[in-house]
Amino acid sequence: MVGYAMRRILGLVAVWFIAVLLTFIAVQFVPGDPILALLSDRSGDPVLEARLRAEYGLDRALWVQFLDYLGNIANGTFGLSFRFAGTPVIDVIAGGLTISPVLALVSIAIAVPLGVSLGVFVAIRQNTWADTLVILILVAGISVPNFAMAAFLVYLFSIKLGLVPVAGWGGADQLILPVTILVIPPTAYIARLTRTYMLEVLQQDYIRTARAKGVRERLVIYRHALRNTLVPLLTTIGIIFGGLLSGTFVVETIFNIPGLGRMAIESIFARDYPVTMSIVLLFTVFYSLINLIIDLLYAALDPRIRLDAGES
Amino acid sequence: MRVYTVPTIIGAASLALATMISSPGSAAELRTNINADPSMVDPITYSELISGDILMNIYEGFVGLDKDGNVVPALATGWKAHDDNLGFRFELRKGVKFHSGRDFTAKDVKYTFEQLLIPGNKGGLNSEYLDGIVGADAVKEGKTTTLEGVKAVDEHTLDVRFTSPDVLFPIYPFFFMDSGIVAEHGADWATKASAGTGPFKFVAWKRGQEVQLAAHKDYWDGSPKTEGVRFLVVPSGDTAVSMYEAGELDLVYADQGTIRRILKDDQFEGQRITAPAAQIRYLGMNQTQYEPFKDIRVRQAVCIAFDRDAMAKGLYGGAAFPLYGQVTPGVAGYNPDLKPIPYDPDTAKKLLAEAGYPGGKGLPPIKVTSTEPNKNDIAYFASQLKDVLGMPVEVEVVERGSHIKKMNAGEVAFFPWGWSAGYPDALYFLSQVWYGPSKYNRSRWQNDDFDKLIEESQKTADEKSRYALYNKAEQILLDDWGTCPTTVRMQVALKKPYVSGVNLIPFRFLPFNEVAVNR
Repeated sequence: MVGYAMRRILGLVAVWFIAVLLTFIAVQFVPGDPILALLSDRSGDPVLEARLRAEYGLDRALWVQFLDYLGNIANGTFGLSFRFAGTPVIDVIAGGLTISPVLALVSIAIAVPLGVSLGVFVAIRQNTWADTLVILILVAGISVPNFAMAAFLVYLFSIKLGLVPVAGWGGADQLILPVTILVIPPTAYIARLTRTYMLEVLQQDYIRTARAKGVRERLVIYRHALRNTLVPLLTTIGIIFGGLLSGTFVVETIFNIPGLGRMAIESIFARDYPVTMSIVLLFTVFYSLINLIIDLLYAALDPRIRLDAGES
Repeated sequence: MRVYTVPTIIGAASLALATMISSPGSAAELRTNINADPSMVDPITYSELISGDILMNIYEGFVGLDKDGNVVPALATGWKAHDDNLGFRFELRKGVKFHSGRDFTAKDVKYTFEQLLIPGNKGGLNSEYLDGIVGADAVKEGKTTTLEGVKAVDEHTLDVRFTSPDVLFPIYPFFFMDSGIVAEHGADWATKASAGTGPFKFVAWKRGQEVQLAAHKDYWDGSPKTEGVRFLVVPSGDTAVSMYEAGELDLVYADQGTIRRILKDDQFEGQRITAPAAQIRYLGMNQTQYEPFKDIRVRQAVCIAFDRDAMAKGLYGGAAFPLYGQVTPGVAGYNPDLKPIPYDPDTAKKLLAEAGYPGGKGLPPIKVTSTEPNKNDIAYFASQLKDVLGMPVEVEVVERGSHIKKMNAGEVAFFPWGWSAGYPDALYFLSQVWYGPSKYNRSRWQNDDFDKLIEESQKTADEKSRYALYNKAEQILLDDWGTCPTTVRMQVALKKPYVSGVNLIPFRFLPFNEVAVNR
């Protein structure tokens, strides 16, 4: 198990390097020149342009710039921001560093139990009116885009009812709407999956056996059926997590939350490449770590899929 | 089988949290929006709009503006031109205190100018106003840090010498700073301390969230009527309006995307404030890039082939009005008597036929180019010019930075663009956008008589005669159809009824020292 984990972590480092390389190449293809964006109206001044280009090291060969960037990641500054002249990237993003991951983690922590419970609830009521109604709501939850949902909830709860703030960050009350928006789609998705897996599992022989033995229905559902449902569900949670992280981009912009997602968008528009690249890297690291944890959990839950099966 | 209940985690949590709603901000503080973080909060590198909105509450120059947009004395109480017209002697205001408690004196002005010019400091917008001072080049080239042409005669008298006359120097919007600040707080003082004389002191900048200012009680023009100002960073215009509706903002400067909603919604009746922007807009026709533009009849035909009133209503939701010259109302030197430019498709067709292109036949293809925010404008121009003149126009949307560079280099043939005034005088528009040698003369229109009038006006201190020169020059530009003036944008803001003393002028908001908040 430990050997497996170590090998996976080494693999991740390679993934991160490729992510850095790809983002570095990608920003070279983005139309627009950061120095021209910086100069704006004053781009008629070639002396100033040359001076700035040299100051930011953009006059050197690409591979030198890339090595430079790797060095800046290693020393923890992530280079200098273009937009906030002279400020290290780490200082620009420091305030938002934990916000998007926390939002995503809180949302998944709510979405998983909620979605699983809902899924079980409807699975054992298959083809009743309750099943149909819940499924209908779930489909709506997946289909309505989060920005539309956000606009509706803000109008209802903030402007009309005055219960929660429209936007902002810092107070617990300011978390309610953004987290709700983030929670709805994964909850709906997980509930639908749980229902499907559950229905499949409930038809298995061992469930019939359990029932025949006279095991109480509650135990049949939770001990025998649900546990076997969790294994395939777990893999999808990793994927759902990626969706949640990108969901924070939209939610942070709408609710004016100073997290990495909003910063990424602002930095793209401002051609602040060092900030964009650093945020992409951080999201990659975070996402890959979550998936590593899920894979390890998976192996723990289902002994059959441990790769180093020879040890057991 | 009733044991299965859907957990009500969210519902319970929401209720619990909703009961602990906090109310941020004290009662007497003004909360307003900015749509992005400022790029900087120091007066030396200052080079963009949002920073300017904040810094103008912290720093002051020789003069300020009143609510009618007139120039009024601020840190200078008076000035007199030298006999040779090559400079000024300024009398500085006595008894002015910096936020640090130190007295404001002539040496602080000299220090500010030198800091703007020293190469390593990356002097921003305000450094351009110093180019004509004796010795400015030596400081810019790093040969010295002492600006020879500026002398502190005594604590409150300052002498400035130029290499060539610059009668507008006293009205340039400088931000004078405390010369003792670096010694006290170090080179990175800007996010830790406040170095101005203005009505508000810098308190904190929480990146992505807000910039906070507090009242400067010893302000020379009386203590501000609020405890402070909070500029909340709200990138989405719609979110800003929603926050205003929910009472989380007291004052909102509307962005282009929300103006339509604000103007139409009855609930904002009595809460809207509007003022024209000090920004000319024009359709640039570069004669060096498109042969037919060399013919004045073609230029005129283009300029009368679109409907400025329809643009104001349709494209800008009513938050604009037609512009017939290249100076906007509210800027000194504006000529209110200019002849309206008609929308006259028949004459336009006739002119184009006379120029040898009947129905657009024989015209080479041309692109009308601009950036993403102007895409509706170029689509309108292209469709009008095709419909009315049969001109083979295509639209082209490009990235901003490279577009500006190409326009500066005179390589864009046909483009709608704008220019915002940095100080309240028509010379800003005329000398920067239409004066031959200007680096921002993007359509490369050039006229010797026009240039001579501009040069003369730069030497003419008397306002009445100077404005007459502007009007004459502007008429030459218009008579030659060197430009198509299009529209002036209307600024729209929302102000809660409990807020008073807000002044929206063509140069955005005045400093907030007169603002009172009685929530």
